[in-house]
Formats: sequence, C-alpha cells, structure tokens
Amino acid sequence: MNRASIAKLFNVFGSTTFRLVLAYTLIFSLSVGGLFYFVFWTTAKFAEQQIEAAIDSDVTGFKDTYARAGLRGLVMAINRRVEPDLRGDGVYILVDSLGNHVAGNMNHYPPKVVVDDIWVTFPITDVSSATEKVGDVRALQFEVPGGFRLLVGRDIRDARKFRAQLVHSLDIGLAITAALGLIGGFVFSRTIMRRIESITRTCRRIMSGDLSQRVPVTRTTDEFGRLALSINAMLDQIERLMRSMQQVSDNVAHDLRTPLTRLRSRLESALRQMNDPANREAVEGAVADADSLLATFAALLRIARAEAGSQRNFVDLDLVSITEDVADLYGPLAEEKGLAFASDIKPGLLARGDRNLVAQALANLVDNAIKYTETGSVTISVTDRDHRAVLVVADTGAGIADEHKDKVLERLVRLEQSRTSPGSGLGLSLVAAVAKSHGIELLLRDNNPGLRVELIFPRVEAVVKTASPPTVPPAEKEAGSRRAAE
Amino acid sequence: MSILEMPMNGFGATGVRDDLQAAVQLPEIEDADLPMRVLVIEDDRDAADYLIKGLRESGYSVDHAADGREGLSLALSESYDAMIVDRMLPGPDGLSIVEMVRKASIPTPVLFLSALGDVEDRVSGLKAGGDDYLVKPFAFSELLARLEALLRRANPNQENTFLKVGDLEMDLLARKVTRQSKRVYLHPREFRLLEYLMRHAGQVVTRTMLLENVWEYHFDPQTNVIDVHISRLRQKIDKPFDTAILQTVRGAGYKLEPAA
Repeated sequence: MNRASIAKLFNVFGSTTFRLVLAYTLIFSLSVGGLFYFVFWTTAKFAEQQIEAAIDSDVTGFKDTYARAGLRGLVMAINRRVEPDLRGDGVYILVDSLGNHVAGNMNHYPPKVVVDDIWVTFPITDVSSATEKVGDVRALQFEVPGGFRLLVGRDIRDARKFRAQLVHSLDIGLAITAALGLIGGFVFSRTIMRRIESITRTCRRIMSGDLSQRVPVTRTTDEFGRLALSINAMLDQIERLMRSMQQVSDNVAHDLRTPLTRLRSRLESALRQMNDPANREAVEGAVADADSLLATFAALLRIARAEAGSQRNFVDLDLVSITEDVADLYGPLAEEKGLAFASDIKPGLLARGDRNLVAQALANLVDNAIKYTETGSVTISVTDRDHRAVLVVADTGAGIADEHKDKVLERLVRLEQSRTSPGSGLGLSLVAAVAKSHGIELLLRDNNPGLRVELIFPRVEAVVKTASPPTVPPAEKEAGSRRAAE
Repeated sequence: MSILEMPMNGFGATGVRDDLQAAVQLPEIEDADLPMRVLVIEDDRDAADYLIKGLRESGYSVDHAADGREGLSLALSESYDAMIVDRMLPGPDGLSIVEMVRKASIPTPVLFLSALGDVEDRVSGLKAGGDDYLVKPFAFSELLARLEALLRRANPNQENTFLKVGDLEMDLLARKVTRQSKRVYLHPREFRLLEYLMRHAGQVVTRTMLLENVWEYHFDPQTNVIDVHISRLRQKIDKPFDTAILQTVRGAGYKLEPAA
C-alpha cells in the first residue's frame, strides 16, 4: 500500500460517515449485546428451573415415601435411586442426627450447610464409588423426623457447561456483529464518500471557474441522485444568473460605451472644424475625459471576465518570456522617471494560466510600482518557493499601510494619498481577479521601504513530458502567423 | 489631425505613394479612382449606420447586410476588398458566415466585430478564418486603422527584405537601418517597432495594434507605455535629422509618413 492509499484510508476513517457508522455499530452492538444477555439469562434461568423442578419433585416423592413407608421405605427409595446402573445426575445423602451416612451416593454431608429448607450450592469432591461424581451440586435439604437430614441434589456441571457454551457463543456472535458492522461501515462510508467526493470535485472545478461542470447523476431515485439533481439545478440557476450578469455587463458595455464612443467621435470631428486654440483645448480635454471613462468601463469588464475566467483555456506559461516582455515594455517608462529598473528571472519554473491575463496582471503591478515610486528602484523577479513559481514586483515607493492592504484589492478603491495621480483604481483589482481565477496567492508585503507584491502560483504537478515541444499559447501562434502573412 | 481627414481613395496621402511604391507593391493603386468595396454585416441599426457613415466619409464603397442570410449571400456572390462581420447575427452567425466564405475559397480579409472580448472568443474568431478582431464599442479610428492594415495584408509583400519610407531604409536581412544614408542603431524591440510602422507606412497604427503585433499581447497597458517606446524611437530616427517622419495622430495613434 503506498502513501496515498494509506492517506486515503485515514481519510475514510476521518470521514463523517465513518464516524457515524462507528457510533451506529456501537449502539447496534450494545443492543445486540443486551438481547443476547436477555436470551442467555432466560435460557440459563430455564435450565436452572428445570433442575430445581426435578429436585422439587424428588423431594416431594421422598416425602410421600416417608409418609407411606417410614424411614425404611425412604432409605430403600434412595438406594434405588443411586443404583449404579441407573445413570442419573442425582446426588443424595441421608444422615442421622450425628451426621453418620445412612444412605445415598455421597460419603459425607457437605459442611457449612445449615439445616433448613433452602437451596444450596456446593462443590463435592467426595462421592460414592458408584457414581464418581465431582463437581458442583445444586441441592435442597430437609429434615426428616428423628434427627435425620436428607439432601437431594443434582449435578449442575452440565448446566454450567451449557451456560459457559452459551456465553461463548454469544460472545462470538457479538464479535461477529461488531466486525460486520465495522466492515459494513467501511464499505458503506467508502461508497458514500466516493459519491460525495465526486460532488466535491465538481464544486471545486466550478469554483475554479468552469461553470459548465455538473455533478454526475448515477441514480436519480436515491437521495444522492436527488442531491446531485438539486445541485445541478442550482448550478444551472447560478450559470443563468452569471450569464445574465455577463449580459448586464455586456449591456453596460453596449449601452454606455457605445454612446460614449460616439460622443468621442463627434468631439473629434468637431475638433477638425475648430481653429480657436482655446476651444480646441477644451474639446481635446473632453476627448481625453471620454477616453478615461472608456478605459474605466473596459477595465471593469476585463475584471469581470478575468474573474469568470475558465481554466479550460490555460496553457503552460513561459514566465521567463512574459516577465522579460513586461520588463521590456515598462523598462523605458521607469528609466524615463529616473528609477532603477531591474529584473531577476529564474528560468525553468512551471506555471499554468492565461498568458494575456498573467501578462496584464504583471503589467499592472509594474505600472503601479512605477507610478507610486518617486525615487529608488522597481524590481521584477521570478523565483521558486517550495516548487511553486513566484512573481515578485518590488518598489521603493510609499508602500501601503497594513490596514489598507486588503482594501486596495477592492474595485475602484484608491488610497486617499494617491487620488491625485492618474488611473482608475482598477489596476490591483484586476490583479486580484486574475489571481483568483488562476488560484494564485496574492501577497502585499512591506519592502521597507515600499511595496512588495508577490504572486505565488499554484504548484504544477510535473507532468510526464511528451516528445512535443512546449505548448505555444494560441495568441502567440496567431501573432506569428499573422506576421508571416504580412 | 485625424485619420478621418486623410484622403482615403487608396492608401494614405498622395505624397506617400511614390515612396511607397519603391518598397511596397500596392496593386490597387492602379485603380485608385475606384473606391474600395467593403461589406458590412451588422444587425444593430445604430452600429451599422455609424459604421457605414464613417466608412463612406473615409472614401469606401459600402454594402450593408442586416442579417446573416443576406450577409452570406452577398459575401458569396459579390466581390469585396474586405468584410466587417458582427459575431452575433440573426440567421447564420458571424463565425458560420466566415467559415462558409473560407470554404468557398474566398480569401477576402475579414474583420470581426464583437461585444465579446475574451481571448477564447478572439481565438475562435481567428480560427474560423477571421483576420482581425475588434471588440465593440471601438473608436472609429481604431476600426479604420485595422481595416487599412487588413487591406494592405490582402496584397502581401512577404518577400520584402528591404523596406523604404522616404529617406528611411531598413534592411531586414542585415538588420540595418539607415536614414539619409546615415546608420541608425536600434535595439531589437525598436527594430521590430519600426519594421511594423514601415510595413504600415502611410497608415494610422494604433497603440493597441502595436502592442498586439510588436509585443504580441492582447491587453490594455494602463499608462501609455507605447508612447515612451515611440519617443525613444523618435530620438533615433527623427531627432538627428531635419524632418520628422514619425507622426502622432491625435486620438488615434501613430503614422510613419515622410513630410510631403
């Protein structure tokens, strides 16, 4: 059994179902134990009663004999009973007032037996040679007039054996019940777990953005089937809502962006007929405002899309080339501002994602770093942490106070001190959205001074490399073929 | 100065033509008097009107189809220089139309218009046989710039290893750039940027087009980082010389064009 299957086994033991089954097995075993005890008790009682009834009838018989034929008749009756060829389990002894043996198959009257008309149980070691009886005896004694005492008993060894056998059988029965309960519980919980696990897997896939996933429905009639159907119905509903939300945002795009675009075009064509520099400046300002509004809408829509992003389109990312490209794109911007710009890239790290979204996220981080850093440096690095690829953008700017760190990831939030600089306040939200859809851990840390943003990619299980070269993202392919066509 | 001001019965300003001809073969220049024919397949009335008006003002001859069926029959029966196709249409949708047009071996360049902007939509559009993809709503100047780039692509000059715009020359094999016979030293990325601009000389090239084609990313840089790269390129190809060849087209993008 390898590690994983052991872990799986522990998983089974740790599951709620299994704990429930364990509790049920316990309760069930206790009930069965109680039932067994009752059966045992009544059976044992019955055997005891049988013995006592036999003794009772013996005693009644002897009393009758005594009444009819006197002591002599009684002795004769006892002797008849203990005849060697009469193989019974009766134990008899008649003694005189001095305790001398008169009749019966016991040699001595057992000691410590109070003369009374009560039940006694005693062990015998001394028996008449005729019967060779050794063992426990259950007996009734009574006094015969003239100081004689009679003890009438039965050997209860067989009854004891029967009792022991019964206890043994019941113990085994109980053990089997518990074992069956546990095995049944194990199988039962595994079966149920597997079905629950399939639901969990589906949910996880959905959470990662693939809303088209559905819980597999094996049987529609049982509870799990119904649960699966309900979950699927709920997912349909969610997907519908998501789509209508998408529709709304597309409508926003259409209904607000279109007139805005037209407004921009009208301003532009008005600009062409304008000669007065003051007017031109005003209209150019209006065009710029329209542009920034359009950019905000575009950014909001992009965030919505990045959040709804599906991992189906993920490809193996070349973090080195993405980082180099972004560094190449933004390096001049940093230099223009007099900032030192450096990149430190460790090659060969695995990550999966949407190339454009990851590049956009990195670009936004670098853009922010440059924007909020007045002096010092901006550094991009790709490193390895516990076999996870980490993209780091660090700057020496003002940084973000701890209490604001969560807030800046929200949409349209810009810290008060940065309100004066240009931007929509959506840059970091987009990064957060991309991180969410990619399963990337997004950390904002102090760079002392400045901000250090870390994007920690989920670990990529080293897949068996096929002979084919690394996947070229589709966007790159197009661009390549387009270039070739030019 | 906007692209909308440019005479559009052909490519770019008349002054460019002779220079362009030396480097880039443009067969349609011979019938420059005939306007370029563009088919617009768009069901939304407002959007269609806006497009048609803008295109006609820019000197194009425009046919319009308001649904997929009409669009498909026009696309298959008439001859166009370019098609602008909306993705969502009543009747066969934009993707199917373009697939059928391509099956009929019609190579007319297609520009997809769509409210959907995801990468996967872009990819599926290009897979279906589209040549470029523009997300609605768009600035008209962006559409015009892309349309021009498409029309230029329809007349490929792929064997060109030597580009010349005015007194600016680029030898793609030797990776050498000269202006007024003086050597200009460029970084690899600046070289690619200039190459793209030279291949689209006389046309407006938008910032998005540059990001898509020179950096090969489809995203929106928050700040105009492209401007910084352009200004660096200017330092090298314009500043040392008496005339500027790389123009800024306000509200649209850039244009490489020798002074008339």
